[in-house]
Amino acid sequence: MAHSQNKSSDLGQGVVIFVYLTVLTILEYFVAVSFNATSLLIVVAVIKAALVMYYYMHIYKLNETDESDENSYEYKTGTNRIGLWLFLLSDAFVFAGLLVMRSNLLGLTRPHLNQVLGLGVTAVLLISSFFMNRGETAMKHGDIKGFMNNTIITFVLGLGFLLGVVLVEWRLAAHEGLVASFGNPTVGPLGGVFYMMTGMHAFHVFTGLIFLGVVWNNARKGVYTAEKHYPVEAAAVYWHFVDLVWIFFYPALYLIGTAVQ
Amino acid sequence: MKGFFSSALARGLFWQLIGTLVGAGIVTGIRPLMGLNALDTFFFTEPAWVLGGFFGALFFLGGSGVVSDWYKWARGIDTPEHHEDHHTGAAKYINVSLDHKVIGIQYTITALVLIGIGGLFALIFRTELASSQLQFLTTDMKLFNQNGPQLYNTLMSLHGMIMIVSILLGTAGFINYVVPLLLGAQDMAFPRLNAFSFWIAVPAAVLLLMSLFLGGFDTGWTGYPPLSARAPVGMQMFFLGVFVAGWSSILGSLNVIVTVLRMRAKGMTAWRLPILVWAALATALIALTATQLIGLSFQLVMFQRLFGMGFFDPAKGGNPVLFQHLFWFYSHPAVYVFILPGLGVISELLPVFVRKPLFGYRWIAMSSLGIALVGFVVWAHHMYTSGMNEYLRLPFMYSTLLVAIPTGVKFFSWVATIWKGKISTPTPMLFVLGGIVVFLLGGLSGPPNATVSTDLQLQDTYWIVGHFHDTIFGGFVFPFFAAIYYWFPKATGRRMNETLGKIHFWLMTPSFFVLSLGMMYVGLLGMRRRIVDYDPALGIDNAHFILTIAAFLIALSVIIFLYNFFNSIKNGEKAEGNLWNSRSPEWQVPSPMPAHNYEQPFEVVGEPYDYGLNDGGFVKFVEPAKSKKH
Repeated sequence: MAHSQNKSSDLGQGVVIFVYLTVLTILEYFVAVSFNATSLLIVVAVIKAALVMYYYMHIYKLNETDESDENSYEYKTGTNRIGLWLFLLSDAFVFAGLLVMRSNLLGLTRPHLNQVLGLGVTAVLLISSFFMNRGETAMKHGDIKGFMNNTIITFVLGLGFLLGVVLVEWRLAAHEGLVASFGNPTVGPLGGVFYMMTGMHAFHVFTGLIFLGVVWNNARKGVYTAEKHYPVEAAAVYWHFVDLVWIFFYPALYLIGTAVQ
Repeated sequence: MKGFFSSALARGLFWQLIGTLVGAGIVTGIRPLMGLNALDTFFFTEPAWVLGGFFGALFFLGGSGVVSDWYKWARGIDTPEHHEDHHTGAAKYINVSLDHKVIGIQYTITALVLIGIGGLFALIFRTELASSQLQFLTTDMKLFNQNGPQLYNTLMSLHGMIMIVSILLGTAGFINYVVPLLLGAQDMAFPRLNAFSFWIAVPAAVLLLMSLFLGGFDTGWTGYPPLSARAPVGMQMFFLGVFVAGWSSILGSLNVIVTVLRMRAKGMTAWRLPILVWAALATALIALTATQLIGLSFQLVMFQRLFGMGFFDPAKGGNPVLFQHLFWFYSHPAVYVFILPGLGVISELLPVFVRKPLFGYRWIAMSSLGIALVGFVVWAHHMYTSGMNEYLRLPFMYSTLLVAIPTGVKFFSWVATIWKGKISTPTPMLFVLGGIVVFLLGGLSGPPNATVSTDLQLQDTYWIVGHFHDTIFGGFVFPFFAAIYYWFPKATGRRMNETLGKIHFWLMTPSFFVLSLGMMYVGLLGMRRRIVDYDPALGIDNAHFILTIAAFLIALSVIIFLYNFFNSIKNGEKAEGNLWNSRSPEWQVPSPMPAHNYEQPFEVVGEPYDYGLNDGGFVKFVEPAKSKKH
């Protein structure tokens, strides 16, 4: 069984996974700046995605269903889990389509972007995922206060990511010539792909923030307990999914191929 | 009438109007500040119409009240998942209901309305085609800022997409109504999401129709750039409408899959699922995932038009063929979304009317999944002439031909089921048999299009039009009518008139054969798709005239059907028992079905289609467990 009943070991597992993800992200970055190894970057992204799906999104919970009473909260939760994962599967096709578009239009080139900022926002999103995991673990063990504190940190980091991309990165990209001027756009695929991919992802971050706000507020009102808190789990899984998408989008936009103007 | 104005439908439409004005107003207000023109040909500018259309759809959902439970949930207020309907009679169907049976009927009626509109469009342009030269869609006329040929293009394109949406809603209709009953469930897994999936289709249909009035568009239903990148504003409304309708399909499918996985009665193992459930599951797997890609491809063209992002603009380094790949990745599997539920209906009803077990149950069940899965890897057969890499043609040709195998499995099974059966032919059975024959014709005319060498000749001719009308009529229209005639008594407690039903069938079927075979005939003689006129020297004037008569006869038969449908709700002969002598669980209880389905739960004790064998039946009702009521 992958999850234990002990709170400190649950939290410890979150830390270990976070360290793995951090190391892999740094590795990824240095691989990309020192030599051109597209396939290695893809392998690293897949490993990161697998870690997130298993240890943060708890995909194995799809198998843990209590068949005894069809009207129980546990049974309904099992049903909800399948529904959410199917939704994420469907959503993944949008992002997969964007990746196909990127590889078709840009191939082994990429837009010229600010590497420090790229690594920065990636780190912010990764750290937010870590706190999300702590928040969910706290809720699982009935620690409402801990959940609320960790969720606020997640929320602030998520907002930081969103603003970093939309307010800072988009403007910098415009200066790099990805978009000529607003209102008179003559932007080619390079800019189109960049704005489309980051925009679609940013929209999901935005909805994730709303979702976090809703469950935080409901937790404050005392709606959730250690036994009944599926919306918290769903918000966490959705938040990790947004991180999961970025695990692929970050190398696709910042690392793979050679930068062109 | 007072009841109508306070209904969810009327409120939704009112708020959609407000939303459209608000969205368009915002953009119109901002544009002068940026030094851009505020108004354009259609009063608002194109970006204003797009935001307006989008806001309109959102306001519709808010105004109709279909999201109010979720809003309460977000504020921490719990609402029960199974409301009682406050409305009775017809009012139930224009208000938000969480009952899957009501939603199924809402879907079905909406589909019939859209079939009517799409059919009307077809009659208009079919009449123009009755002889060569331009008769009434001339270059002098002007309607909605379009001249005759442009109007022809718009009507032809809208006919395609309106019919596609009506098919999606029609299949969702009988799947929603029947699948939970077959499973023994009280409702779908997510009743609120189910209601949402239906109601979001209504603003989508409005958006699609709006495109007609905003200059139309001339791309056909496929909306290929670069043409769609410079078509009138109507193009954007079309994209937006399809995008919104896509969500209906995606979320509805999600619900079906979860319902099948989680809500089955005791003893209903995988190999005892009714065949229609297998078909619905296979359909839902496609619609859940692939639909995102048509949404994405249309969104990209929208953004190309709005922001100048040159995804598909070769002048900026974009690639128009990429659009076709993204588009067909959904739009080919989509045809299996249209036909698989219908083929499921055929397999479901056939044993009932031949009083024999369904031949090769497991093979049929797996063939639906097989078609669905193979369907994901055949899309580029629409693109043999598109200029894509030539080496792609061969693998896609073979994968396409592979579809014939699971489809063939279904045919052999149907023939073997009919073989030596005690056949009776009430109206539903007539439509089942008609569906089989028509779909056979559609299936046989498929491989020539899949084969590269012949497709290079057939591409974009009327032959293709004949082929897909055959598959859609055989795979959807005939089974859809069969399903309505068959389950109508379950929903109303009355049956539809048999005589009118038989007139409907015997009028529609021969007319349809004339129509589809005629389409293939003129196509082989050189008639091109999507063109308002043709050369009299082709010698196909008479053929086209006969085609037009056939089209009107089909329309007449559908009018007879609609009369029969609405008349029988009140005046039909009472039929409250097991009218078709079926083994299926929904027929073991009196009609019409009560609001919460089965009073007693049932257990599966036998095979679903063992007709004519002396066993204990498919299901057995059990005393409700003595647990406390919730």
